[in-house]
Amino acid sequence: MSKTALILGVSGQDGSYLARLLLEKGYCVVGSSRDAQMSSFANLAKLGIKEHVQTESVSSTDFRSVLQVLKKVKPDEIYNLAGQSSVGLSFSQPMETYESISVGTLNLLEVIRMLEMPVRFYNAGSSECFGNTDGERANEETPFRPRSPYAVAKAAAFWQLANYREAYDIFSCSGLLFNHESPLRPERFVTQKIVREACQIKSGKQKKMSLGNISVKRDWGWAPEYVEAMWLMLQQDKADDFIIATGHTSSLEDMVETVFSLLDLNWHDYVEINPALLRPTDIKISLADPSKAEQELGWKARYKMKDVAAMMVEECLEGMTK
Amino acid sequence: MMKKALITGVTGQDGAYLAEFLLNKGYEVHGIKRRTSLFNTDRIDHLYQGPHEKQRRFVLHHGDMTDSSSLLHILRKVQPDEVYNLAAQSHVAVSFEEPEYTANSDALGALRMLEAIRTIGLSEKTRYYQASTSELFGKVQEVPQNEKTPFYPRSPYAVAKLYAYWITVNYREAYGIYACNGILFNHESPVRGETFVTRKITRAFSKIVLGLKKCVHLGNLDAKRDWGHAKDYVEMQWLMLQQEVPDDFVIATGKQHSVRDFVDAAAAELGITLRWHGSGVEEQGIVDQVQMLENKDFDATVQVKPGDVIVRIDPRYFRPTEVETLLGDPTKAKEELGWEPQISFEELVAEMVAYDMEEARRDALCQDKGFRVNVYNE
Repeated sequence: MSKTALILGVSGQDGSYLARLLLEKGYCVVGSSRDAQMSSFANLAKLGIKEHVQTESVSSTDFRSVLQVLKKVKPDEIYNLAGQSSVGLSFSQPMETYESISVGTLNLLEVIRMLEMPVRFYNAGSSECFGNTDGERANEETPFRPRSPYAVAKAAAFWQLANYREAYDIFSCSGLLFNHESPLRPERFVTQKIVREACQIKSGKQKKMSLGNISVKRDWGWAPEYVEAMWLMLQQDKADDFIIATGHTSSLEDMVETVFSLLDLNWHDYVEINPALLRPTDIKISLADPSKAEQELGWKARYKMKDVAAMMVEECLEGMTK
Repeated sequence: MMKKALITGVTGQDGAYLAEFLLNKGYEVHGIKRRTSLFNTDRIDHLYQGPHEKQRRFVLHHGDMTDSSSLLHILRKVQPDEVYNLAAQSHVAVSFEEPEYTANSDALGALRMLEAIRTIGLSEKTRYYQASTSELFGKVQEVPQNEKTPFYPRSPYAVAKLYAYWITVNYREAYGIYACNGILFNHESPVRGETFVTRKITRAFSKIVLGLKKCVHLGNLDAKRDWGHAKDYVEMQWLMLQQEVPDDFVIATGKQHSVRDFVDAAAAELGITLRWHGSGVEEQGIVDQVQMLENKDFDATVQVKPGDVIVRIDPRYFRPTEVETLLGDPTKAKEELGWEPQISFEELVAEMVAYDMEEARRDALCQDKGFRVNVYNE
């Protein structure tokens, strides 16, 4: 019999790629969105799998809503990718950020506990929990030092998971994913903004690009392969938490340069720094040590920042000519 | 000019001690209390000033940490120089039963207050104290715990407090609010909530001695804690807000005792020596000797005798995830704030027993004269 997976937040980047992966693996995939009837599931459509994913309306901040869908779907695996996903937005919506991330996770854990389901639960943690690591590579033992309302909410969700795993023996895993990008990233994420606007500049539709702090350094990977790590975590004998990253860090300036040079442009001619885009607190550099995932899950990133940028630019140019 | 302080959780143990402390410092003190059907102001009744008194310096407001608008209204009206956020669902065991409520009041409550300070435009004026907790250390990563020890929260209470801790740090760094976390280790007093283990022990023993109760049921006797006196600790909360630069501090005694030690110490205060028999859930605390204490005017009515089992274990009080040991390192508070706790563990136990003994004697007297006595069951 085929397994059933429930993906909360299926309309997002990771949810869509994960749905595709699980369909390929023969899963019955149920995906949720806050309002499934109003949602266009454009990302699922782009991947050509919209018809193959059964969709449900779920608001994870609402206990009844979570209870109902779990009773109905009876999933073998739950992937909670729902929640406010932007660090920048969390400074202007701190409350909504906490509720969607932390209360949502708590509701899922409580319902699993109440129904005594033998379900395996993946929760989207975040590298943002680490904050600045003083030049050290973050591993699974590195203490958190969150620097935004988003990161604080993700840290709380991480510990809730650890607590329910230890207190009630729920098979639950947090993936501490470092930045992972793809053509499905919305434009409020800086990588996609750079790609889209650089392509606009290339085609003459735009003259300048405004950016905030381009000295920040991040570990950027390729989202379609990160969702494999999520699945792998739930196939182990023992539930545990893992860092998922490439292990390579580059600056936003490097990324800008890569994207512009792919388009044969010199970024210095187009990029303006706008202090209004600076965040109240930001992480200067994030460094990851993904060796535990390689050793225990056999997972290793194939694509680095330059590959990711190239694939995003290619897709963007293709989209513009359509 | 007279400084104004706003205390959330003013009806609680720390709120009451802090209110009294600040009033003595000359502050105008405003407190927020939840609306309840039953009066719950007994800890601050001695400070109360009615609305018709002139030059009132202690004012209570109805409000709730789960209601942003109530906080906004009170902040706008009071315009406090200092906010002490002591309100919380403060019981670790209860947080396993009410995890969402705990998150709402403890985690989001702190965020709501910080947001309200920003919204009212008080970011530069108002200093903010967040009641953080040693429970953050949970499954301790080093001994003793200081300000640099990584957290490992082990209960929904601790996870909610972890959020409050970091959001306080974030609002300090992001918006320049003078905001501090006091990471307080356990602190007790005669007005500690009756469901906390220390108070449960001193109350139960006082009743047992007078024959009002037979036995007390406890959970993990081997849990070790760093216990201080709440009265000492509130001074520290105030000190943190009087510095040049806001920072986070561990507040502790640096000494550790087990729950069993506390039980033995409380018994000794009443002239009882216990011997422990059995192990695990079968373990019992049995009266070994009863000694008539001098200068204690209740000895004539002592109702326990050697052989009585007065402590038993009930696994109901075990927690799904237990915090076995907590020990604080208060060096930073000593060095930077010049703070040192004044009241010893033994003095703390003695004060709590004396207070509860007086209540028990009042109950015994009432019962003796045929009046009904309130029995608060757990």
